[in-house]
Amino acid sequence: MSVDRRQRPQTEGGRVVPNYAFTAGRTRSVAGTDMPIEALVTATELGLAKAPGMPPEARAIVEASTVPQSLAEIGALLDVPVGVARVLVSDLAAEDHLAVHLPLVGADGRPRRELLERLLDGLRAR
Amino acid sequence: MVSAHGERAVGGAPPAEHRNLLPLKILVAGGFGVGKTTLVGALSEVPPLSTEQRMTSLSDGVDDTSIVPDKTTTTVAMDFGRVTIDDALVLYLFGTPGQSRFWFMWDELARGAVGAVVLVDLRRIDDCFAAIDYFENRGVPFVVALNEFPGTQGVDDDLVRDALAVPEGCPLVHVDARDDASCTRALITLVEHALAHSG
Repeated sequence: MSVDRRQRPQTEGGRVVPNYAFTAGRTRSVAGTDMPIEALVTATELGLAKAPGMPPEARAIVEASTVPQSLAEIGALLDVPVGVARVLVSDLAAEDHLAVHLPLVGADGRPRRELLERLLDGLRAR
Repeated sequence: MVSAHGERAVGGAPPAEHRNLLPLKILVAGGFGVGKTTLVGALSEVPPLSTEQRMTSLSDGVDDTSIVPDKTTTTVAMDFGRVTIDDALVLYLFGTPGQSRFWFMWDELARGAVGAVVLVDLRRIDDCFAAIDYFENRGVPFVVALNEFPGTQGVDDDLVRDALAVPEGCPLVHVDARDDASCTRALITLVEHALAHSG
């Protein structure tokens, strides 16, 4: 491929979008947020207000995210790999159109104890 | 808005009812046909979805593959499901392929996980060794869950532990992957195990 991927393409204006071209060749978002596959996404008021004028895939993400969605679910919704969903979500978050809820982990990289206890309570109540 | 990793929320301000949302994940590992999707489906409140995850062979969380376009990548399909735990916690279950050639790429997926359920079919145990080794080496809490297929009941647990080289202290449970209650018990055992090793 002859595209120089280090050069960040124009992101303004409508995207013409055959699948992974959604992200204009980028594999990292502008915001560069390290977003795991289970990160939860919710639409902001601003995002919902702007959604009608967005490109179709962005609009689909924002409108679906009135109910919290994980990055994995966004990928399944659009039928794109998680990496593509990550870039799209990061762009929308950078414009405050989405809020992204990251996992809460301790210094050891594992979920904090109080979360495990809540998870245990929730599972036992099922 | 750019935010350092480790902060809870990035992007715009979420609506008030979503302010405390937190995701959790548990991996369900095991060989082809062992019942991962069945287990995920038994627990999930939505029909299991499928997604693709592209993984790089040198993934260290810092690498930017856009700079080295030729770096080895592979795309792996995963089934996943969702369990709402309370008004803020949402648990995701990711069924991960157990082929040993993939395991060196799973660090991204395992990062931050509560733990893993290694699902085993006693008629075909070869598929589970790579998963057991992986989670043990990475210090990811896990339980070994024997999926009860016809002809696999009644095998002595100690024999199974020996045959699978299940580490001491690692729980061994029996599940019917089709049964919600049975799978929930396996998750409870996993979370109890994770808590016992939590700082």
